[in-house]
Parts: sequence; C-alpha cells; structure tokens
Amino acid sequence: MDKRLWIVSGKGGVGKSTISTALAVLFASRGERTLLCEVNASDRFANLVGGGRVGPEIVALADQLWAVNLQPEASLREYALSILKFESIYKAVFENRLVSYFLRFIPSIQELVMLGKIIFHVEERLESEEPKYQRVVVDAPATGHAISFFSIPRVLINTVPPGRLSREAERMRLLLENPRITTAVLVSLPEEMPVNETIDLAAGLSERAHVQTDLVVLNGYVEERFTAGDIEALAAAPSLQRAAIQHRAEAASSSAFRRRLAEALARPVVAVPRLFIYPFGRGAVDAVARTLEPALKALG
Amino acid sequence: MSARQANAPAGSPIAEALAKRRVVICVGSGGVGKTTIAASLALGAAVEQQSTLVCTIDPARRLANSLGLKELGNAETRIAPSQLAAAGLPPGSPLFAMMLDMKRTWDEFIERHAPPNRKEQILANRFYRSLSSVLAGSQEYIAMEELWQLRMHRDYRLIVLDTPPAGHAKDFLDAPNRVLDFLDNDAAKWLLTPALTAGKFGLHLFGSGSGYIAKTLAKLTGAETLEHLADFMLAMSSMNESFRQRARQVRALLASQETAFVLVTTPQLERLQEAVEFHTELLQNHMNVAAVIVNRVTAAPLPRDWSDASELQSPLREKVQRTLQENSALADEDAKAMAQLEADCRPTPLVSVLRMEQEVHDLKGLWKVAGALVTGTTPAAPSESV
Repeated sequence: MDKRLWIVSGKGGVGKSTISTALAVLFASRGERTLLCEVNASDRFANLVGGGRVGPEIVALADQLWAVNLQPEASLREYALSILKFESIYKAVFENRLVSYFLRFIPSIQELVMLGKIIFHVEERLESEEPKYQRVVVDAPATGHAISFFSIPRVLINTVPPGRLSREAERMRLLLENPRITTAVLVSLPEEMPVNETIDLAAGLSERAHVQTDLVVLNGYVEERFTAGDIEALAAAPSLQRAAIQHRAEAASSSAFRRRLAEALARPVVAVPRLFIYPFGRGAVDAVARTLEPALKALG
Repeated sequence: MSARQANAPAGSPIAEALAKRRVVICVGSGGVGKTTIAASLALGAAVEQQSTLVCTIDPARRLANSLGLKELGNAETRIAPSQLAAAGLPPGSPLFAMMLDMKRTWDEFIERHAPPNRKEQILANRFYRSLSSVLAGSQEYIAMEELWQLRMHRDYRLIVLDTPPAGHAKDFLDAPNRVLDFLDNDAAKWLLTPALTAGKFGLHLFGSGSGYIAKTLAKLTGAETLEHLADFMLAMSSMNESFRQRARQVRALLASQETAFVLVTTPQLERLQEAVEFHTELLQNHMNVAAVIVNRVTAAPLPRDWSDASELQSPLREKVQRTLQENSALADEDAKAMAQLEADCRPTPLVSVLRMEQEVHDLKGLWKVAGALVTGTTPAAPSESV
C-alpha cells in the first residue's frame, strides 16, 4: 500500500478533519514522513493533535508529522513567483487592487494554485532523491467543491491553449489519475443526506476527476446493543425504554447505511464507532487511528 | 400528540414569530437540520390555518417525498389533504412547498431585466452557465430574488425560507451587494473601459494602458478566460440598475417588521463560535432574530432512570447503564454549549429541540419537531431540560 496522496472528502460536518488527522497520525506513527494539508479552512488540526497553530507555512506537529493550511493568496503568490521569477513583477501585478479584484472572480485560479501546491509536495524530493513526504493527506473540501477541485486539471486542459498552464495541468492530471499514487477516502455518517452525498461523490470523483475511491469511512457508527426482547423487557420503565428504542434505531440505521454504502460503492466500509471522549483531542484521534489501522492493512 | 396541542403557550418566541411575521428565514451552517426546521415551522403555522409556503433549497429525498415535492418539480405544491390526514393532522391545513431552482430563477431574472439584444449573449456565456461558482453569493442572492418575487406576487400569509448553508450572516445579507460589487466598481470599470467604449473586449484590453497587467494575468489564466469574463461583465452591466434596485428592496424586506430570522445550530462546541458570530452579525445589521434554535440536543437521564436501571437483571442492566452514561456525557457537553450560547446571544431566546428517536423524514416527524419548537420555552436551562 504505497499510495502517496490521500484525499479525504465527504459532506460538511461528517468528521473529515478527524479522519484525515487520524490517517496522518497513523502513517507518522509507522515512521513515515507525513504532511497533512488543510484547504483554506479554519485550523482544526492544532486542536486535534496538539502543537501550534497551522498556517500557510509548513509546521511540525509531531514526530514525522507536518501540517499546512493552504490559503489561496499565499499559494497564488508562490505559484506566480515560480512562473514570473521576479518579486517586483509579482508586486506590480498581483498586489494591484484591480488585478486582485479580477482574480477573485476567475473561478478556478484559486483552486488551481492550491492543488498545484499539494502536487508540488507530493513530488518534492530530499537530496537523497527520496520523497520529502512519503504520505500527503489532504483534508479536502466538501462534496461539490471536492469534485470541481480535483477536476481542475482536466477542465483546464480542455479549455486553455497549449502552453505553460496546460503543461502544468497535464502533470497534475497524470498524478491524480494514477491509482497507484492517488486515492480517495470518503467519510460519511449513518444518516440519509451524508450517505447519498457519499455515493454521488464517489461517482463524481471517478467520472469527472478520474480519482479512484478505495475506502469509505462510516463515522459515528452505533453497534447494536438492545435486542427486540430487551426493549419489551423495559416496558415497566418507559424512560429507559425510550433510550433503548433510540439506541436500537440508531444501530439499525448504522447497519442499514453501512450495507447501502458497501453495495452502492463496492468498496470496503470501515465503521468508526461514535466516541464519547471529551474534549475531542489527541486521545480521540488516536482511538480513531486504531480503528482505521486494520482496514488500511487490508487495502495493502 | 394531537394537532391542537401546538396551540402556542403565551410568550413562545416561535409561536409569536409565526403568528406575527410574514416571512421567516432559517439561516445557519450546513448539516444542522435547517431544512427540517423550516418545514416544521411551516407545518406548525399551516395547522393553525395560516396559508404557508416553505421554500427549501436541497431537501433530503425522503423529506422531499413526504412534502410531495419530488414528482411535482419546482412549482409551488399544496400538500395533499390525504397525506396530512394520514399523519393525523387537519387535512385542510393550507401548507405549500417548493424547491428553489437556482438556474431557473436566474434565467427568469435575465429574461425580465436584460435588454433584448443582450439576453442571448448572457445566457450563452460560459461564465453565466457556471454562475454559482463564479459569483460568490449568487446562491444566496437568488434565494432572496425568489423570496422577493413570492412576497410581491403571491398572497401566502407566511413564507418560510430555507437558505443555502452559510457560515456568516454577511454571506447572506451582503449577497446583493457582492453581485453589484462584481459588476459595478472602479476596478471593473477601469479594466473594461476600452471594451465599454469599443463595445467589444478583444484586443483593446491588451493594447490599452492596462495591457501590461492584462498580459501578465493572461499568462496565468489564458487570454480567452479573461475575454469571456469581460464579455460576461459587459453584458451583465446593462442590468446594474435592476440589481441595485432589487438589492435595496430585498434589504428593506429583510429588515422590516414583517420579517424575522431564526438561526439554526446544533449544540456541538465546534459550531458554537460560528453561531454566536452569526447572531451578532444579524443584530448589527438590524435584523429581527426571533430565536436561536438548537437542534438535536441530548436530554440528560433522570435521577429515576439510574435507580430504575440498577434494578434490572444483568446483562440488560449493564447495557442500559452504559447507554445512560453515554447520554449523560453527551447531555453534559450539550448543556455546556447551550449555557455558553445562551449567555452570548442574550437577549435572543434559545429554543432547543431534543434529538428525535428516528431521523425526521415524514409529516409525523415534522409535526413532533413543530411541537417542540412552538412550545419551547426560554431560556431552556439545559441542565434541567429533561
């Protein structure tokens, strides 16, 4: 299982940050140099892992674990500088308020430069020619945005004339579409909307971005605890019975949605149990990482 | 619960809003249950014999089905008396529902406001076709355009509007201004001046005083992209006055006494800051906030539950005790978040909706939520809310 680029996506609020952090912690704990990337989001990693705040510069979070929060302005600057070479030209052009206004409305330029930075880190090498980061885990945008985000290279190749931009896009496309390098991990919850979105997302990533999904994580999973007989036995205590009915209903939808995901996607579905760890920090992330470990081994 | 029980107790902030206002707007971030809350509010009002329309954005399939939306597309649809009767509700309740169709609403706007010679050009432009991603705020803008049309041209007693997920009130309130800002500001005019005078974009941009900048930009984006964008802006700018007028009208409608907002959130600590900021922004913009609705709150077990549990036989006893411990931990976390939220949003009332035993996806479920919303008292001191 030597995939290098791990894209974690799903509906908003399903726990993408937790799952990406757990994956990264798991890789790092095996001694693999791992970079965790957030895409223009409020910094969640620091709370989950401990360690300092994560901004547009790469910071070390733990042993073998680094993190960065990609931001469009900073990424655009890096990208433009790499093309234009001269700071003075960059300043004259990109810090011009008219231009920054225009750039805001060109839809894919921000995503393109952030994606470019992710790909740059996947390809980055040490002096020994070894990859600088053996694993790059991306806490990707939610569903609709994720599909357009990772389709950008294809869209660009079809719309821009041959030149620097289309060559860049082609390089990105080859890497994203290579299932030996890139894989998507989709996160869901045992509820209708997130599950529908997960199924649509897998199809969208495959058809529009040609990114392959290898694993589905069903977060907040509730294992069955009460049998129908248990519920009957609680008839004398209505309040307890209600709690048991609720638990049983949650367990039933957990297993129904797990089946539905497995059938619709024909991919392994890992159930991550709902945790009652407060505050939700490093301890919880480690617990999630442990539940993910067997599934990752099985992928191998 | 019988239908009549939804009769509002005096002072229920939600009941008051439903009775007094003509427009109730549900706002909040994604995944908090906004659509369910919007549909429940509308049902609560309709059962009181007020003709009510709920306009939703992207309902879960089963919820849409229960409202009869799937087969009837995006038209305003009356909920069938038989469906209401099957859920034990007064069959004559005048409840209407519709789904917002962004594309169609934009097309209608263009049809209505664009000069005849520009219509085709706009509708065919590739930026127009991906308008929602080009124009930040266009979803929110179009939701308000629809609201405006409905309020002006239909005679519902109450319109409940579900909105696109938004982390900030300004995403919503500033949407008309951001559309205007895109079309009509100094930067756009300066870049477009050669095009505006020539009536065409093309080489003028690259040959004018802005040529140096345009050429460098074009290195990154491709010249074609810039031309398409400029074409689009040029065509759209013929409608600036319509946008400006509508922005003023919508703003006035939002701030008027006939409109109230409800801010929907869930009690997770990580959502707290966002909800508080959202609330503050609404007040700063002089909007009426009827309530902060905290959805899917876990109730703490009663003292009686623990003693009842201890009398059970093993292994049922351990199963129940473990469930009570989990619920208790969840309830403690929720209570902390709610206390904080209550303090930070004062004096806006907090209305909490307990987590339902089943996911809400039918009229019965909506009616239960409506009951919780309408009878919800304030402040719901979370540690005692059992």
